[in-house]
Amino acid sequence: MRSSDYIEQAWSNLRKRKLRTFLTTSGVVIGIGALVCMFAFGQGVQRNIRDQFDELELFNYVNVSLKNRSPRPRRRHFDPDAPQAHDEQAEPNIPPGERPVVLDDSVLDEFMQIDGVEAAFPEMRFPAQIRVGDEERFTLIQVLSAGACQSGLVQFRAGGPYTTNEPNEMVISDSLLRRLGNRKPETAVGQEVEIRTVTLDFSLTSLLRMVFARGDQRLPTSNRRYPFKVVGVAERMGFGGPLPIKSDVYIPPRAAEKMRKLVLNSISEIFLPANRAAGYSMVSVKVTSPSDIPAVKKTLEERGFRTFALMDQLEEMQKGFIIMDMFLLAVGMIGITVASLGIVNTMVMSILERYREIGIMKAVGATDGDVQKIFLFESGMIGLLGGAFGLTLAWVVSVAINAIINSFSSRQGVPYIQYFNFPWWLCLGAITFSILVSLIAGVYPTLRAARVDPVVALRHD
Amino acid sequence: MNTDGLIQTQDLTKAYACGPTQVVALRDVTLSVARGRFMGVTGASGSGKSTLMNLLGGLDTASSGSIRVGGRLISELSHAELARFRRDTVGMIFQSFNLVVSYSAIENVAFPLLFANVAKKERIERAAGLLQVVGLEGRQDHRPTELSGGEQQRVAIARALVNRPEILLADEPTGNLDSKTSQQIVQTLHDLKTEQSLTVVMISHEEALLREFSDEVIYLQDGAVTSHEILRARP
Repeated sequence: MRSSDYIEQAWSNLRKRKLRTFLTTSGVVIGIGALVCMFAFGQGVQRNIRDQFDELELFNYVNVSLKNRSPRPRRRHFDPDAPQAHDEQAEPNIPPGERPVVLDDSVLDEFMQIDGVEAAFPEMRFPAQIRVGDEERFTLIQVLSAGACQSGLVQFRAGGPYTTNEPNEMVISDSLLRRLGNRKPETAVGQEVEIRTVTLDFSLTSLLRMVFARGDQRLPTSNRRYPFKVVGVAERMGFGGPLPIKSDVYIPPRAAEKMRKLVLNSISEIFLPANRAAGYSMVSVKVTSPSDIPAVKKTLEERGFRTFALMDQLEEMQKGFIIMDMFLLAVGMIGITVASLGIVNTMVMSILERYREIGIMKAVGATDGDVQKIFLFESGMIGLLGGAFGLTLAWVVSVAINAIINSFSSRQGVPYIQYFNFPWWLCLGAITFSILVSLIAGVYPTLRAARVDPVVALRHD
Repeated sequence: MNTDGLIQTQDLTKAYACGPTQVVALRDVTLSVARGRFMGVTGASGSGKSTLMNLLGGLDTASSGSIRVGGRLISELSHAELARFRRDTVGMIFQSFNLVVSYSAIENVAFPLLFANVAKKERIERAAGLLQVVGLEGRQDHRPTELSGGEQQRVAIARALVNRPEILLADEPTGNLDSKTSQQIVQTLHDLKTEQSLTVVMISHEEALLREFSDEVIYLQDGAVTSHEILRARP
């Protein structure tokens, strides 16, 4: 028989038993629909996480810090009579004289010379209130060197970068500007802005106020106000670092040093004086492409720095994604198993009903293989229909769920999120899988059909 | 024994296991049917007529003995070879017509061509032509339930002939028909035998009908041939 004949026969036979075909196929539709829905949800979650990471360019960053910044030796290794200090014990491969002692602007300039490095800037962010006229908004300020600001890291909608690290100049994002009521970026350039920082105040007055407070117990904090001038309006908010939080304002390092502020990098920095000259606790290095990460990391580590890249965690994340996919697959497989039992049942029933017909087939020249293939094509056709409609069902359900969740979340101001993802391989894989499961389910019944004795079958009523 | 027969059996025996006992349905049957002859087979119920027919048609396998068709030893063919033999060499007609009830007349006639890899267009053309030959040109879209017994048997005859076989095996083709229709059906078989140079083996209880149309008749009793009568000599 020709393949087209098998298909035609299968379709014709399924159409003759419409109700049974509908019910059996419905089982497959629900099974495949549930499976695809779960998988698409898993894919959606993964895509959203990856997109978020990509948007923040978190995979393009290496965070650099000094090794053993807090020079406290581990007790086990501490030996006061040892000829070398504890730093050398911790980093035996780096000669003492070559050990970096500070992360300052000169080191940042060195970082910029490394192949694959696009920008290097101190990882220093702090919360502050921004006031423009009567409008005031809370935001996160990012310290960014003039070099990094001019390097193309920041895309400008109006104005441009500050050119030195000294002045009280700032770049503000377009989105913050909008929240401050200004929808014309070009008018913001040159505007005076006040930054109000929050800092812990351990002065005697402050401590006494806290101790003797009546009813209104407050943390020992104080505010400082600093005048800044807007020189540029950035197209987008911030960029990556160890904190996946976007910053809306960039200021030069020297200006930041003069400010009292609550830096978010390390709790120990809270207690450090504002005008310390000990360099930065952490530096972010942006590479041109995530593929540059290993080489840049190696270079930095060879120079004695400690590095951290989120890229290193990608493998662990992918393992997590696989486990999640496996779990969703296992849940979805329950439906498929039930559906495949339905197919077995339908095919066995069909063979019993068409017992005589099988005898006729054999009497007129069908081989065992022909008979087997006729029924396998029917089984596969159920799988094809079930897969195609199951995919459609999954898509419809995903649209409905998306609409419901987003209608609720939009009221909370959450932007629209596509929770499901249907990549082409999932669609194709679902249909293939459905056909494959149906064929497997059809193997036993079709073997039975092939073994039918034509003499017995032709006598069968 | 005639050695130039298209169909030749030698000591053909078929026994069935029925619990602890063995039932011998056919016992040492040796016969020969020459090409172009019309052979009738008759006997009482349980005499082994249908068993003989199933063996000659390759639907069943013998317990012992041999069957040769056109010199080919079919009792030693594999399952797949037997299927091809049934498809290409023999056409079979049954008492209960054995039509596929969900198919129309033309679909039933064209059915064997599916397994012969014949293109759909040719299948339809050949089936329509044969329905015309058996006088059912206006009934090709009717299902078996919409046809009389005689018409159903004509559809079955057309189906048996659609692969242009050399041999036509008819197992009680008139068993479910009235005498007039029976006469017409056997007449049709006889005409086809003459027109298409077929070799026909027909089983029937109706001895008179067999004697009217057959060239020779064999009588079976308890699975053995008791008599072989030549009614018309070979030309």
